[in-house]
Amino acid sequence: MAAHCESGSITSLLNHSGMKITEPMVFGISSGIFFGYFHKMKSFAFPTFIVRNKPGQIRKNLSKRTGVKFYTRDFRNQEAGQGALDMLISKGIPTATQVDMFYLDYVPSWERVHINVHFLVAFGKEGDVYKVSDSYFPNPVDLPVASMNKGRFAQGSMSPKGFLFYPEYVPQSFDQEKAIRRGIKKACFNMLSIPIPFLGIKGIRLFAKRIIEWPAMARDTEHLSHEVMKINILLEDQGTGGAGFRFMYATFLQQASDIIHKPELKDLAKELMAIGDGWREFSLFAAKIGKNRDLGDEKFKQLSDLLYQRAEKEEDFFKRLSKTIN
Amino acid sequence: MKEKDGISECPEQQVILYVEKEDGKYEAMQTGSYISANYLDDYFLKRGTLEKALGEKIARGEINAIEYYMILEDLTISELAARAGIMKWTVRRHLKPGNFSNISESALKKYSIVFNITVKEIVTRQSGNRN
Repeated sequence: MAAHCESGSITSLLNHSGMKITEPMVFGISSGIFFGYFHKMKSFAFPTFIVRNKPGQIRKNLSKRTGVKFYTRDFRNQEAGQGALDMLISKGIPTATQVDMFYLDYVPSWERVHINVHFLVAFGKEGDVYKVSDSYFPNPVDLPVASMNKGRFAQGSMSPKGFLFYPEYVPQSFDQEKAIRRGIKKACFNMLSIPIPFLGIKGIRLFAKRIIEWPAMARDTEHLSHEVMKINILLEDQGTGGAGFRFMYATFLQQASDIIHKPELKDLAKELMAIGDGWREFSLFAAKIGKNRDLGDEKFKQLSDLLYQRAEKEEDFFKRLSKTIN
Repeated sequence: MKEKDGISECPEQQVILYVEKEDGKYEAMQTGSYISANYLDDYFLKRGTLEKALGEKIARGEINAIEYYMILEDLTISELAARAGIMKWTVRRHLKPGNFSNISESALKKYSIVFNITVKEIVTRQSGNRN
């Protein structure tokens, strides 16, 4: 079991290939921490936000910074995609594949949503059933071939196209200090300097500004309650390790401190834990007012204020992290 | 977050949280999902209320079964069109309540795959709520 599907799948594949690396280290080296707010998008029925970098970037960044080479492939047709996965499994190669979570039979009904960027590892097949390791489940699970195919070949935004990958070359060692420094620098750039108004710290501020508009965008109180409570799910439940990946990134900084001989990173890790506690306070507050249908304007003002505080704290934090690492 | 502050009882949905252990080290902890442990009943209540309200809208002829499932699964028209492989303007036409009977069998099949249900369930939803 792991906190997040992509970093968790990669960590387990690398560990299986003999590289000893933790999930927070995979996440940190690949500059996973992020923020983005999307107020209106064709593919989302309601405003939403992300707390990690773009799906696929964890693998790509990790590969650039550690020298691990991944075999990757996507497919135009389902038969070829299934054939390739079956062949790899038959050779004893555990293989990660991208799916729409909606079609995974083993996922409880309340968790099943159309998300095209879930990753799992298939490691066996018996008859018409795949043996699957999913980071969100403590034990291996069974997944019928038909469901796997529906998930791998779902259409829509960021459609998986049967995408699969596994590490085909894992170096004996890599320059950990360099990889960690590059990972942190890029994370700081992403949070502080991307010149797009809805990404990074600017995205948190935009969220704070526009969350006030949510009541006018909802169908009714029940819908608004559902969307407000989803804040908690996105921050705490959907494979973030808690507080929208802030706790996992703090863990990475603590581990990195010893490797690159920078004791200041331990203090910064502690600060980020406290910042994460603030995110958790925000998400628990959202869950509470959603459940109580206590969704008046003053509550949205409170949510907005909490977000502005997070933006201020994170801006200060990432500026100092950037200085520490340079 | 301290380890003790992250613990929730929810065997049906486990999560990994990174927490501060007693020795000051940050490590992974497996525990229950906070929101499922505390608010799952509310999720099902809201889902049931939404299903009932949308069913009544079908009965009143305000929406049809395609829109029923589209709203239930949180999809936009663009996303539904992309997922079903049907042109957006055609989906718009299909969503008009009076046009349900004109939707072809092949289009219904495409919608049913997106919603992960059978064509029969869609048709029954439409006719059941219309009777």
